[in-house]
Amino acid sequence: MTKETTPKEDERKRILKIAEVNPGLQYELSKAPGAEKLMQCLQCGTCTADCPIARFSGSYSPRLIIRMAQLGLISKVLSSDTIWLCAACFTCTDRCPQDLELASVLRVLRNMAVKKGFIPEALREMGSNVVETGSVYKVPGSRIRKREAAGLPPLPKSNPRRLAKLAEIVGFPKLIEKRGM
Amino acid sequence: MKRQGVLIIGGGIAGIQAALDVAEQGVNVYLVEREPSIGGHMAMLDKTFPTLDCSACILTPKMVEVARHPNIGLLTYSELREVKRVEKGFEVKILKKPRFVDETKCTGCGICAQHCPLEVPNEFDMGLGVRKAIYVPFPQAVPLKYTIDDEHCIQCGLCQRVCKAEAVNLDQRPEVISLTVGAIIVATGFKIFDAKKRSEYGYGRYLNVITSLELERLINASGPTGGRVLRLSDGRIPRRVAFIQCVGSRDQRAWGHHYTGNPYCSRVCCMYAIKNGVLLKEHIHDIDVTIFYMDIRTIGKGSEEFYQRAREEFNVHFVRGRVAKVIEIPETKNLLVRTEDTETGKAIEREFDMLVLSVGLMPSSGIFELSKILDIPIDEHGFPQGAHVETDRFTTGGKGIFVVGAAQGPKDIPDSVIDASAAAMKAAISLARVKE
Amino acid sequence: MPESKYLLYLGCVIPYRVLGYEISARKVAERLGIELVEMPEFNCCGLPLDPISHEMMLILAAQNLCLAEQKKLNIMTLCPGCNGTLHKANKTLKEDRGLREEVNRYLKEVGMQFKGTTHVKHFIQVLVEDVGPERIKDSIQKPFNDLKVAEHYGCHLLRPAKHMDLDDPENPTILKNLIEITGAKCVDYMDETECCGAPIIGVNDKIPFQLARDKLNHIKRAGAQALITICPFCHIMFDINQPRIERAFGETFLIPTLHYPQLLGLAMGIKPDDLALKENKVDISRVLNLL
Repeated sequence: MTKETTPKEDERKRILKIAEVNPGLQYELSKAPGAEKLMQCLQCGTCTADCPIARFSGSYSPRLIIRMAQLGLISKVLSSDTIWLCAACFTCTDRCPQDLELASVLRVLRNMAVKKGFIPEALREMGSNVVETGSVYKVPGSRIRKREAAGLPPLPKSNPRRLAKLAEIVGFPKLIEKRGM
Repeated sequence: MKRQGVLIIGGGIAGIQAALDVAEQGVNVYLVEREPSIGGHMAMLDKTFPTLDCSACILTPKMVEVARHPNIGLLTYSELREVKRVEKGFEVKILKKPRFVDETKCTGCGICAQHCPLEVPNEFDMGLGVRKAIYVPFPQAVPLKYTIDDEHCIQCGLCQRVCKAEAVNLDQRPEVISLTVGAIIVATGFKIFDAKKRSEYGYGRYLNVITSLELERLINASGPTGGRVLRLSDGRIPRRVAFIQCVGSRDQRAWGHHYTGNPYCSRVCCMYAIKNGVLLKEHIHDIDVTIFYMDIRTIGKGSEEFYQRAREEFNVHFVRGRVAKVIEIPETKNLLVRTEDTETGKAIEREFDMLVLSVGLMPSSGIFELSKILDIPIDEHGFPQGAHVETDRFTTGGKGIFVVGAAQGPKDIPDSVIDASAAAMKAAISLARVKE
Repeated sequence: MPESKYLLYLGCVIPYRVLGYEISARKVAERLGIELVEMPEFNCCGLPLDPISHEMMLILAAQNLCLAEQKKLNIMTLCPGCNGTLHKANKTLKEDRGLREEVNRYLKEVGMQFKGTTHVKHFIQVLVEDVGPERIKDSIQKPFNDLKVAEHYGCHLLRPAKHMDLDDPENPTILKNLIEITGAKCVDYMDETECCGAPIIGVNDKIPFQLARDKLNHIKRAGAQALITICPFCHIMFDINQPRIERAFGETFLIPTLHYPQLLGLAMGIKPDDLALKENKVDISRVLNLL
């Protein structure tokens, strides 16, 4: 009797993956504005071929992300760092022969991840700066003085009350609140 | 009472086959072709798929038959100008463009061309070779009569002086020929997608990126390089060649003035790329051939087997990954191809000496104007619309007008020939009806 | 119709880190007769927050557009990222009625309404479309003699071509033409349209550094004496970060990186100090010597 190398282990892994597949999810996803053509992807790989991030990353592949979205295997994708690597350079969007707005699909996935509480810290900070000051950066006093010295007009002010009100209406503060993750 | 005949517009393989099939039934045929010779694109090819038969060997006997057939009136260097529906069929006016050479006197000896001082790019060689201002497009031209290209001719009169048959007539005028016919067959063929529109591939900017038709001329022994496939940048023999599929086909992008790809599949490109890949392997020892594709579509009898042979016997490499970008290396003029090998999931960058773009097929130039003259509907891609997609794709725009071959939609040679025979039958039927 | 008055939209990055671009752009605009009006109020265009919430981005963009509509002026941007976002939001809100009504419902709560009466242009676009090459040529007083530069468009001015519809992203010419008006020669280099990677700084620093180093290598190989940018973020990558990239990979580039208005300004005869050339980190004396 030949010794078999634990096929049960592999089988379990495979079965798990299949149970995770949720083909219905792509219909839900394609309702989100920007991801309408998600199901039209035929996995040709054009997006990944010239993606500046994919070329230097070795593990990042927009095509793979779309495939996982099509199969509904996105729970791992949403909690990973991968979707935050997209530089939104729109090279994929320009090149896709099926006219999928890939950068938009990635944005939809990022929006979903944020709703689940996954958000890079740097981004969270930028979000809270905008609501407070109107700008993603808190411009330090030294720069303000530099502007004056250079004879530039003062920076236009923001309207924090208006920003806070609108942010509240679209549910923004909840998305960027610090959670104990 | 004039005998009813059939007018065929376009002298490619479909037009030629239709002309022969109609003529064999004892019906008169007028074959109108806007180039100086019939033959169409098939005359440019080297070998055909899937059998690797010599294209000219299949085509030229038919061309000669057309020239000799008592029932076929060949009107080359002519264009359809007007069509009017009448009770018994159509009254048509055809413009015979002036060749400035008397066809009844010209013997095709070629002395005029030897003396002509002007060299211009040869359209038949896709601009890769030259011809004189007085020329025949290729040696097996039918009719073998010389034509003066009056756009470039400087009217030096040398050809006139040396022609022993006194056939050159620089005062020739255009002629309008009026005919009454019972049926019309549109066999205007195709033009290839303008690869410059896919600017990410660098066609037009990078010398070593060529189209499939340009490769056909390089591979062809009667082409501008005598059958030697050479790089256009330095004349060297390429050792690593890649084919890029679906250039201008299966492309849903149609926005702005930069991107106007065709959404449909052009049907023949997978087969012709595999054929050319195999031919390159036969021509050049140790050459590395890679085909980058989204899908391989090998339809028709013998095609899938041909594809398997290409993989196994000829060792043509196939990579499932659509090419995103081509970059030229300035020092060597070699090309870097960026694609994702979707079978391994790795983004790869490979260097090649030469790239061949498998360009898609589109309706011939002038089809829009022709559709207005004939009053036939054309679809959103410019192909004349048939009466019924499944059961009658020939009949278009009312009774008596038929569209065949690549003019109807992207098609290979076997299907174009069958189309032509079928339309010839349909045309004859419609004539028979009129006679009753 | 060529315009000469625009609301200047600075965005977040320029006032924070790239004052040189603002200073030189203002100077050049002044010389060319473009009147720049300050935004009455400012908030971020929304681009960095799009990954968090698409609605938030639309709201932020829409506020800026409404402010411009109230002023009855069009917007000129310096940053292509802001340009792309505002332009796309403007276009989408103009074309998609359902979306417009939804956004206007939110805006109503703060007394604003998007009407779709304004448009957004980038500085380069204004130079090409409103000023025109002829007038720019007339303003050149000290053309460059022997300067070879490389151009970097970045990603957001031309892409996605579907929305921006400005020039062919694969083989663009508008910046090249503007550069050559100054007398400088624009050299081609490998992979010109490659992204600089800046947007993911903070998430992953390694990849952008590799990308920028790749580009700098190609630019050096092509023999360019300077690099011209039109985006503040790209400028940060190639200028402020150039020494860091050199140290990280043990290579030397010494490629001065100028904002286009700095190059144009020099050719117009404006003093280098007035163009904030002191702000540029990599030594630009090579460029100045070639005037």
